[in-house]
Amino acid sequence: MDSKKIKQVMSIVFDVPLESITDDASTDTIPNWDSLRHLNLILALEEELGISIPNEEVGNLITYKLIELIVHECKK
Amino acid sequence: MEELKYTEILQRNKELAGTGNSQPYTIGILSNVIINSIKEILEYSCRTHHLEPNIEAGNYDNIVQDSTHYQQKDLVIVFYDVLNIIDQVSEYFEDIDEQKYISLRNKIFSEIDIILENLKNTPSVVFNSFSSACFAGINIQPSKSDQFVDEINTYLNTKKSNNVTIVNIDQLFIHIGLKRSIDYRFYHSSKAPYSFEFFKWYVLAIEPLILKNTGKLKKAIIFDCDNTLWKGIIGEDGIDAIDMSPTSKEGRIFHKVQQIAVYLSKRGVLVGICSKNNEQDVLEVFKNHKDMVLKEEHIVIKKINWVDKVDNIKSIASELNIGIDSLVFVDDSSFEINLIKEQIPEVHTIQVPAAIYEYPDLLLKSIRSQFSLVINSDDARKTEMYKQQYQREESKKSFTSIEDYLALLGIELTVFCNNKEHIPRISQLTQKTNQFNLTTHRYTESQIEAFLSEGNNNIYSMSVKDKYGDNGLTGVCIVKEEGINPKKVIIDTLLMSCRIIGRNIEIAYVDFIINDLTRKGYEVLTAEYIPTKKNEQVADFYEKMGLHLIHHSKEIKQYELKISEYEKNKIEYIKVSSQ
Repeated sequence: MDSKKIKQVMSIVFDVPLESITDDASTDTIPNWDSLRHLNLILALEEELGISIPNEEVGNLITYKLIELIVHECKK
Repeated sequence: MEELKYTEILQRNKELAGTGNSQPYTIGILSNVIINSIKEILEYSCRTHHLEPNIEAGNYDNIVQDSTHYQQKDLVIVFYDVLNIIDQVSEYFEDIDEQKYISLRNKIFSEIDIILENLKNTPSVVFNSFSSACFAGINIQPSKSDQFVDEINTYLNTKKSNNVTIVNIDQLFIHIGLKRSIDYRFYHSSKAPYSFEFFKWYVLAIEPLILKNTGKLKKAIIFDCDNTLWKGIIGEDGIDAIDMSPTSKEGRIFHKVQQIAVYLSKRGVLVGICSKNNEQDVLEVFKNHKDMVLKEEHIVIKKINWVDKVDNIKSIASELNIGIDSLVFVDDSSFEINLIKEQIPEVHTIQVPAAIYEYPDLLLKSIRSQFSLVINSDDARKTEMYKQQYQREESKKSFTSIEDYLALLGIELTVFCNNKEHIPRISQLTQKTNQFNLTTHRYTESQIEAFLSEGNNNIYSMSVKDKYGDNGLTGVCIVKEEGINPKKVIIDTLLMSCRIIGRNIEIAYVDFIINDLTRKGYEVLTAEYIPTKKNEQVADFYEKMGLHLIHHSKEIKQYELKISEYEKNKIEYIKVSSQ
């Protein structure tokens, strides 16, 4: 459930097709994933999923997998 | 819009792209903090009103310099945030010494002067008020930051010309709540203090101005009568039973609504009546009911009959000779409201809420977003008085040229050559810098270390400070010997952090470097510009510095110069020293 939502948010914020957000998606595979959009992504994920991502994690979340992991952690 | 999530706004904005007017509405945003998330929200707002926006955000913390490039925009928005002004002061602001306080305040004054001067011919400028809400907390004693903000706000208010609108940021904070407006996490990590929530309300706040500038504001408001201007139904209850008394529980709500209608009529809004009733009954109320605040003299057009309201509204528009999309219609009946929405959707409708106590506020909220109210002449005079008084008292010189302003800053550069301690920072700058970066070569620390140990390279690192603070190590230039010809060097890397762009520092920096290369006996200098998505602003930098373009393709521009031919620019107000 969350993974689908995360991918949707990423696709909208980065303005890329949903299919391009694969499980291996990262800042290397998505050219639009720059530092400014990264901030928007974090804020949008928080808004959509009703979570608060700890500040120290924000900079680390550079792959889809890591985001999924931290969202899971935040929801615990 | 306030109820939409950010991703919903992004999606809807994308759907609406290209549907507006063919003539774009150009907006420039100047800021000293990162405000990029506002872009799509503002675009969306414009597009819902059939405008096609073209929004450009200036460089980070480059308001004064960027204001010269944005004069031609239809609208310029200035986010000059106190957070980042106070952050640049090295000591704790509340404990700042008086001399430094005055000099900082005067610097802001002169920056305001230059910005206003540069934007004086721009049709519309939005300037945010300065706010100390982020620092103050709840404290009955005024703080230094409060005093600072008061002084610069007063200055801005007295100096601003008529094309400048000031957005009261404190009001927005009160409305949204400070905690929901500011995200300190991203302020500290990325200088991006504002939340989506803040930007949504900010855009809603400036929307009426954009509508006004583009002629999309409403001109007339048409009221139904029964249960809209008074409680009760005149045709059934009779004149004695309807209620708009300032002293009765529900009547007072309608009393206030009538006051609002009168207020509008005094400020250039056309007020009309459209009611299904016998005309005589309604006119009797207007003439003879003691509690009526709204009188016939305030009303420009009346349609009191049994014709359906769609036809009535259409004929009101044509009789007043205004577009049907210039009308606002207020009614309590969901039948009438839906009919209008369906048949003439261009009309903005307001339905009297079931929770009647919300009615005046709902009405006011709609009015603020739909109408531009002409301020009364007393207010206008008051502003003029303040302005004159200020001009009499003013003894301070206005700084209107960038050069004067830069001179005031007292910029000092320190250039280091081949300094091993700087390796980590040099590597980091090559990794992070995008905008002012001629070649965008990314180097690790060990690569930089290797360049240094080769012995025939010159790595110039530069730190920058001015009267107001120290920007630290913010410039890197790597010059390599070519190899075959030991008198020939190439600028492998030239970059500066965006924090220091726009102050002619780059010119003084290159002057210094070429001087040093001359001293070391080099004769020929070559250089390259490699275009990326982000470094367009330096595409012509070497041309400006007098280097000769010898090869130009899509991927690269190459330059050459006999070092003896270089003409120094001698930027006198920047002090350069070497270590």
